[in-house]
Amino acid sequence: MSEEVKWNKTISDVNDGILANLGKPHPSYYVAWAGAIVFLLIGAVTWAIEITLGMGVTGKSSPVYWGVLITNFVFWVGIGHAGTLISAILFLFRAKWRNAVNRSAEAMTVFAVITAGLFPLIHVGRLWVAMYWIPPLPNTNNLWTNLRSPLAWDLFAISTYLIISLLFWYMGLVPDLASVRDRVKGFRRFVYGIMCFGWRGTAKQWHHYEAGYGFLAALATPLVLSVHSIVSWDFAMSIQPGWHTTIFPPYFVAGAILSGCAMVYTLLVPVRKMFRMEEFIRPEHLEACIKLTLLTSTIVFYAYAVEFFVAWYSGNIFEWGVFVKRAIGPYAFYFWVMVFCNCIFPLIWWSKRMRNNIAVSMFVAILVNVGMWFERYNIIISSLVEDFLPGSWGHFQPTLSDIGLTIGSFGWFMFWFLIFCRFFPIVSMSELKLIMPKPLSKKHH
Amino acid sequence: MRKRPGGILAIYQYLDNLTDAMKLIRNRPDCVDHEVFSPTSYHEIEEALDAGPSPVRWFTLFGALTGSVTGFGLALWLDYDWPMVVGGKLAGLYSLPAYVVIGFELTILFGGLMTVLGMLVMGRLPNLNQRILDPRFTDDRFGIFVPNATLSGEQAKILQQCGAEEIRIIESK
Repeated sequence: MSEEVKWNKTISDVNDGILANLGKPHPSYYVAWAGAIVFLLIGAVTWAIEITLGMGVTGKSSPVYWGVLITNFVFWVGIGHAGTLISAILFLFRAKWRNAVNRSAEAMTVFAVITAGLFPLIHVGRLWVAMYWIPPLPNTNNLWTNLRSPLAWDLFAISTYLIISLLFWYMGLVPDLASVRDRVKGFRRFVYGIMCFGWRGTAKQWHHYEAGYGFLAALATPLVLSVHSIVSWDFAMSIQPGWHTTIFPPYFVAGAILSGCAMVYTLLVPVRKMFRMEEFIRPEHLEACIKLTLLTSTIVFYAYAVEFFVAWYSGNIFEWGVFVKRAIGPYAFYFWVMVFCNCIFPLIWWSKRMRNNIAVSMFVAILVNVGMWFERYNIIISSLVEDFLPGSWGHFQPTLSDIGLTIGSFGWFMFWFLIFCRFFPIVSMSELKLIMPKPLSKKHH
Repeated sequence: MRKRPGGILAIYQYLDNLTDAMKLIRNRPDCVDHEVFSPTSYHEIEEALDAGPSPVRWFTLFGALTGSVTGFGLALWLDYDWPMVVGGKLAGLYSLPAYVVIGFELTILFGGLMTVLGMLVMGRLPNLNQRILDPRFTDDRFGIFVPNATLSGEQAKILQQCGAEEIRIIESK
């Protein structure tokens, strides 16, 4: 960050400011929580109907067998990318602004990946036997899972990503949980004491902690880039027109980071208000998040353009056909929502005034989230409806069940995220102290 | 359980005072096994501690290598147990490129798990019976605990000279 942050607080205010507000959030917190429960119930009812009546209610039918459920899977995995990007890659780059936002971004990652992981299970229908299909377990003929399949790679990639993100998140929490332990009394002290493993903050502990954190960041950095690459191979490894292209991995990674950063912003702005953290999550930090969103938006813009160019330049009529139909065919609405939300509207952020206008930025960040959902929908549906054989072409229309499960996924995600905000320090206190002015004695001034 | 020794605890408000004191008592024989407390991981403290590279890196290396071997081993063994003929080529060719993903993911997974384990083992965690000398060490104060020292001793004098805010006795427990 080029500009210096103007701190009104010192490190002595950090624990007081952040922990005091954990216990008494703004009333809007409870409204949001109730909303999440309602959404979650809608999802639960829809899922119960789907299990009772069968997969037909989801609108999946020949030729589209990857409908809205897989769209949601890719969307939520994408959302989960910003957390580890912010905590690992920006840590290695020593981007200071990350320290104010990394905890909430990591929590978002963990819950988004858990949400994403539900969708392949819902998608297979009889999820209670899914454990038998996906991991490498032999069937009665000793036939194994095909580890050449991108779907098997996906299992390894997503599970690894979830576990490493959890470790990163929890490792960062340990010193902060110790801070909570040292403030509270009775039973809560006992619980937080167990959760922080008995952390004391000795110089030796910090020494090993810092080394471990650095190595975990170094391991997680290629992981962030690999996970959405592997998700993109679910598509690119097939020969479906519109999917079979080498630009998919970088295109998906950029899109994932775009949606993730927009979601971080969308969550930070209300959370910052609900828990009165304006003094710690400064406008400069929010602006840095917007800058990263703008950067990835331009990369995504470029990827859309290159994809179109290559479709035309390849001379493959099926490939070109899919792209022309995306832009002016029956699914053109989804395509143009995607282009405007992901590429055009974010251009407003080139203006510093607009970047710093929280209302405008919040609105555009929500639009980016919408646009990224439509991007996945667009990629999945418009390629699947039309392959090489005109006789097998079809049409796809989402059903109420699809919409219900999508709403439910937002409820599920917000439910866990809001619970987290209430009981854990939503700003990494120990790391925030590092970017604030150092406590030096008079002789150094 | 072994009894923890008593000693003196010096509390500092300022980082530079703390690192001054750390450098002075670092190699003193009457300050062996002293402990330094900090609310966060300032690099100045790390320099003053001068502990050399943390052994956590060996945990990471071991985990990552184990993961690579496990990932490739798993994929190749499945290929051996049920040969898959791809493109009409002979079974038993063990083409690796498709298995790089599995090998890579398990490298990261095992490496990450071992890194966290290394951090816990080296930091002597979890240790739930730990005594908390002062609750402010996780807030905004620094501290040095010198075992088996007294307020009238040489160690207390040094800690005081460096600008300790408060020095007090910790009972053996």
